[in-house]
Amino acid sequence: MKKTLRFLALAIALALVAVAFAPNAQAAQTVNLVLMGWSSSPSENERLQKIVDDWNAANPDIQVTLNQVPDYDTTLQKSLAGGEPPDVFYVDSFRFLDLVRAEALMPIGDKLTNIDDFYPALRNAFTANGQFYCPPKDFSTLALQINTEMFEAAGLSAPTTWEEMRAAAEKLTKDGVFGVVVPADFARWIAFLYGAGGSVTDDEFTKMTINSPEAQAALEFYTGLYLDGFAKTPADLGVGWAGEAFGKGLVAMAFEGNWIEPYLKDQFPDLKHKAVELPAGPAGKATMAFTVCYAVPMKAKNPEAAIKFVDYLTGAEGMKAWTDLGLAMPTRASLREGWLAKFPNLEPYLNGAEYARKWQFVPGFQAVLDKVNEQLSLVMSGNQTARGALAEIERVGNEVLASR
Amino acid sequence: MAVTAPALSNRGGFRLSAKGQERAAGFMFILPALIIVFIFIFLPLFSAFLISFTNWNGLQPPFEAQGVGLANYARIFGLDGTTVVRDEFFVAIKNTFYYTLGVVPTQTVLALVLAFIVNQQFLRFRGFFRVAFYFPSITSSIVIATIFLWLFNRNGVINGVITGVANFLGLQYTPVTWINDANGIIHNILRLFGITIRTAPAWMTETTILGQTIWQWISGPSVTMLAIMLLAIWTTTGTMMLIFLAALQDIPRQLYEAASVDGATRWQQFRLITVPMLRPTTFFVLTIGLIGCFQVFDQIYVISQGNPAGTTKTIAWIVFRNLRDSQAGLGAALAFVLFVIIAIFTVFQRRLVGKTVQQ
Repeated sequence: MKKTLRFLALAIALALVAVAFAPNAQAAQTVNLVLMGWSSSPSENERLQKIVDDWNAANPDIQVTLNQVPDYDTTLQKSLAGGEPPDVFYVDSFRFLDLVRAEALMPIGDKLTNIDDFYPALRNAFTANGQFYCPPKDFSTLALQINTEMFEAAGLSAPTTWEEMRAAAEKLTKDGVFGVVVPADFARWIAFLYGAGGSVTDDEFTKMTINSPEAQAALEFYTGLYLDGFAKTPADLGVGWAGEAFGKGLVAMAFEGNWIEPYLKDQFPDLKHKAVELPAGPAGKATMAFTVCYAVPMKAKNPEAAIKFVDYLTGAEGMKAWTDLGLAMPTRASLREGWLAKFPNLEPYLNGAEYARKWQFVPGFQAVLDKVNEQLSLVMSGNQTARGALAEIERVGNEVLASR
Repeated sequence: MAVTAPALSNRGGFRLSAKGQERAAGFMFILPALIIVFIFIFLPLFSAFLISFTNWNGLQPPFEAQGVGLANYARIFGLDGTTVVRDEFFVAIKNTFYYTLGVVPTQTVLALVLAFIVNQQFLRFRGFFRVAFYFPSITSSIVIATIFLWLFNRNGVINGVITGVANFLGLQYTPVTWINDANGIIHNILRLFGITIRTAPAWMTETTILGQTIWQWISGPSVTMLAIMLLAIWTTTGTMMLIFLAALQDIPRQLYEAASVDGATRWQQFRLITVPMLRPTTFFVLTIGLIGCFQVFDQIYVISQGNPAGTTKTIAWIVFRNLRDSQAGLGAALAFVLFVIIAIFTVFQRRLVGKTVQQ
């Protein structure tokens, strides 16, 4: 009896050892990679899956599994902290510096094909300490959506300056419709801040520069539209976001990113609208670029295979396959003409690439962003002055920057 | 954090007497549960405690973080001269305090009344009412919060009903933007008496305590927070009702019979028998209500994310926000401060309500 048990234990141990070594033997032939991203619209999810499938068919030695997860930030955080990050993953330009500081990313920029083709502003969004870390997969910019039916009825043309935009908003506010929808959101107001020639911090993020006459002009313009009754927030209009207010015809204008286009096409196919570049402020045109890159972790197990795959995704061929969906825009200048031929109505968004600013701050800056949003709502509710708001933002911001 | 381990006494020493054997057996029986509690509760709690003394960013493996001593705790209370974290913490304290003050008494009284009603013999369809009142408690809080988001929409059902009633009474009602109204309830009431930030006395608007003026401290919950409070009351009252109901049915009927023989009125019976007999239950309901309120998170996450103007930031919300925004060390420290606050309030409440609670 005892002997049988001992033999059994030995057999089990041997089997375990054999199992433990078996996959390694196979790995010599095929590299398995995991690409982790967040799940977006069904058509985007399907398109990415198709691109991955095509890659797998063409590259039997590098097999990629696509893992689209909900609650992306938390999942990524857990897998990085656990020391088992996915081989390739999305990084939003907003989170980029956080991850660089945590030494989570491998700089792979110089191993990619023709990186000068990427728009400088977007390459810059993923460059830190002089190194280009990860290639932008696509990007979006803000533009002004106008309801052409309302504009034509009022005999107005698309506004190109702040004054024209304000005049149009005033004229179009009637019969329960408002001129424009203004969210109390820094990610929208900041385009006006730059348009006025203002800035948030100095280039090195050592101190706040937001308490300036330019910023005050931008804040007074933005909140003035609301306080003077030509604008409403999405919540005031009983909708979830600006795009919904615009689609439902509750407002004549909205400034949103190109993600609004497929939404309007799906939900409000009869709406007559067009996009124009954001009206120029006193200091000229300005818009914001929101972009995401494909990153390879510092602790990558198969860095070569991962870089090869990323190079394909962001190369001319892979990026064309991805951006031909018409949702997000190609980050390579060489793809511009081909893309515009397919989506001529999105040109104002793509033109933004030339002068867009990146949506990126230093780690720990979230507290300042919260403060800006808070102060924006206070100014819009009449409980705070523009000057008071900027002074408060400056005070909090300087403290955050000083404690870095 | 509300878990207390059963106290193990070992007065018997190590003699393997019959009693000792019994103890050992008992210990073996609870061992699996103990192991699970240890791995999934005490171990994470202990690691969180250690992390609260580091600058861990939540992105690297935790061992790579550097110890910073008490710096995180110092930031929370502003002892290092900085104000950003401290101010946010005390805003969260204020919001959480108003939230708790509104929710706990209301749901407790409501639950007691409901339990009393559905416990009456004469009530028809008792089973139906018991299920109906308990139903919100077993539904996912995320789902309920999403539904409330629609109800409280500016063009939603709530505003629709109020407008209807107002029109019927010939009154004017401007729809409230429930989910985006940063005005405090107490401020709104004061405004009815002509007291606004412009007319309030200077000692109120100019004295700053811990980052907020006295005027800001007395704001009360914002309109948005009020909507979230109504949601919380609606969901938790059912659970509390169930607990009260069980306790009501445990009160021996002889007590009431004896009292009515002695000539006690219904009211005297309620006051002198029901309420004292429910004392341990009331303590329990208040305690879990309080803990639940201090930890309110799901509803905030779905409905307001701390907006508008930071009036729905609660302590649990800023814990989450710091964990998410690569300040896990600070987040862990905040979580422990919250733990201590809850512990203090529970002990205080035990002194107040639970004087006679003895099992």
